[in-house]
Amino acid sequence: MNAVPLAVTIVMIEDDEGHARLIEKNLKRAGVYNEVRHFADGTSALDYLLGPSHGGQRPLLVLLDLNLPDMSGFDILAKIKDDPVLRPAPVIVLTTTDDEREIRRGYELGCNVYITKPVNYESFAQAVRQLGLFLAVIQVPPPT
Amino acid sequence: MPLTRTTFGRVTLLLMAVGFAALLAVGVGLVWLVESSRGFSQAVTATQNVRLASVRVLSLMQDAETGQRGYLLTGDRSYLAPYEAAVAALPEALPDLARQVIADGGLAGPVEALARNAQRKLDELAHTIALAETGNREAALAAVRSGLGQASMQDVRAELAALETRSAGRLAARTAAVERSGRALLAGAALALALMFAVTFGAGLISHRYLRALERAEAATRVANEGLEARVAERTASLAAANAEIQRFAYIVSHDLRAPLVNVMGFTAELETSLGELRGLVERLQQEAPALLTPAIQAAVTEEVPEAIRFIRSSTERMDRLINAILRLSREGRRALKPERVELAALLDALLATMQHQLEEAGATVERQPSLPALVTDRLALEQILGNLIDNAVKYLDPARPGRITITAERRGTRIEIEVADNGRGIDPRDHARVFELFRRSGRQDQKGEGIGLAHVRALARRLGGEVSLQSTPGQGSRFRVILPAILAPEPAASEENYA
Repeated sequence: MNAVPLAVTIVMIEDDEGHARLIEKNLKRAGVYNEVRHFADGTSALDYLLGPSHGGQRPLLVLLDLNLPDMSGFDILAKIKDDPVLRPAPVIVLTTTDDEREIRRGYELGCNVYITKPVNYESFAQAVRQLGLFLAVIQVPPPT
Repeated sequence: MPLTRTTFGRVTLLLMAVGFAALLAVGVGLVWLVESSRGFSQAVTATQNVRLASVRVLSLMQDAETGQRGYLLTGDRSYLAPYEAAVAALPEALPDLARQVIADGGLAGPVEALARNAQRKLDELAHTIALAETGNREAALAAVRSGLGQASMQDVRAELAALETRSAGRLAARTAAVERSGRALLAGAALALALMFAVTFGAGLISHRYLRALERAEAATRVANEGLEARVAERTASLAAANAEIQRFAYIVSHDLRAPLVNVMGFTAELETSLGELRGLVERLQQEAPALLTPAIQAAVTEEVPEAIRFIRSSTERMDRLINAILRLSREGRRALKPERVELAALLDALLATMQHQLEEAGATVERQPSLPALVTDRLALEQILGNLIDNAVKYLDPARPGRITITAERRGTRIEIEVADNGRGIDPRDHARVFELFRRSGRQDQKGEGIGLAHVRALARRLGGEVSLQSTPGQGSRFRVILPAILAPEPAASEENYA
């Protein structure tokens, strides 16, 4: 059973290097050792995801920040959910705001989990660790 | 000619006066006609009386003559009865005729002449009768034959006929006069009627013109009003746009300020974790190789770095609270208001129930006016306004005396005034404006808070179309007055924008 979650590649789309580092650190602390591919902008992330390889033909999990320099995270979310190959991939939105309307919009566009990045570090670490637990139990279907 | 209200009033008044005068003239003419008809009928009666009296005199004179003739013919005294009756009645009938003639407006002269002739006739009659009575019948007949009596009788008849003619003439003249005045009155009435008709028509015409002018003015006013409304709507829209811009700005700023803060906090925690490792190392050094450990290193690891981390932490936490406050205000500004009927009494009771613990802890009592008005407003916003004001009142009580908070409200025209008054420590007059600004506080900073509450209250009150003001004397208490529209108009549907 463990073989499948381990095979999942985590695609992290996050423009803030610091946040990316903190997420990686805490994932490791939570015992998540999956491959993490980090993209600092939407364009390169979409090139990787929607390009010919479709994220390297491997099961994917997308960690998505909504504030990106070149486009809104919602646009990326919509594109992922529009793509027949990528649609099954779980998308976890990680962002700084807890605005209800944004959360609603995220879920409407097909985001699976919405996590607010708390400024309080303990909460932040807790959230990422829960994400690790989440990764341990979900079955990510491989792209067809 | 533009018809102003004053000229319209004056012209109408003038026309009414003219019409009224015409009516009055017709009335007066009518009264005059009635009076003259009455005079006429009196005159007719008088003339009739003259006629009756003259007929009576003539009849009496004839009776006297008939009696005399009968007696002279027969010598029988019984034939004298008509004569004697006439002689007895005439002294009364003749003056009566004179009176009637004078009452009818006739002259006394002809009647006096008549009386003289009548007397002469009577004297002749008496003379012949006296001759006959003395047995001298032949002499009496001779006297009759002399024609003297005949002549006197002729005179009497002629005079009575003249009297009759004069009476008839006067009657005819009077009838003609009455007819003339009747015709004149008819003409006058017709004229007055025509005048009244003209006046009515004129007044109607002027009223019509005035009304038309009014209608035109009203239409122009309506157009102007519509223009004004359009301008107000435009201005409101641009203000709303500016407000939305500020909200968006606040949102973006706070959003983007938060991201670096996550890093500061996160890496501070990482530092702390690493510091834990270092502290372990220092402890091992102390035991195993104390020579390597300088006091500076020890101080850095055990005191200076932890202190620095503590400051970074408390500052970032504070920063986070401030950002959250801005975010909350910005969100509150973007929330669509839902006007609904709110019973102020019920709302306050529910609010006070949730604050019961806080109130008891502070030893404060709250009194609310027993009957409070209801209003149509956004329930949540009103709850937050009152909650913040009561919370402030409880927080800033004067420890020297038991806290008393009084809440009153009343309706004034289209607005509701709600007052939250306390006997707390009060606010320095210099700070009365400042306390409503974001992050500004007044007095001793002995209570937790970021200086957000009153800024929030003011933002909400303004959002509800109202205002909040403050009266306070340091050391005596504060009185916050919230003025809200009694009925909040629903907002035009705000566009559902997203600022991500």
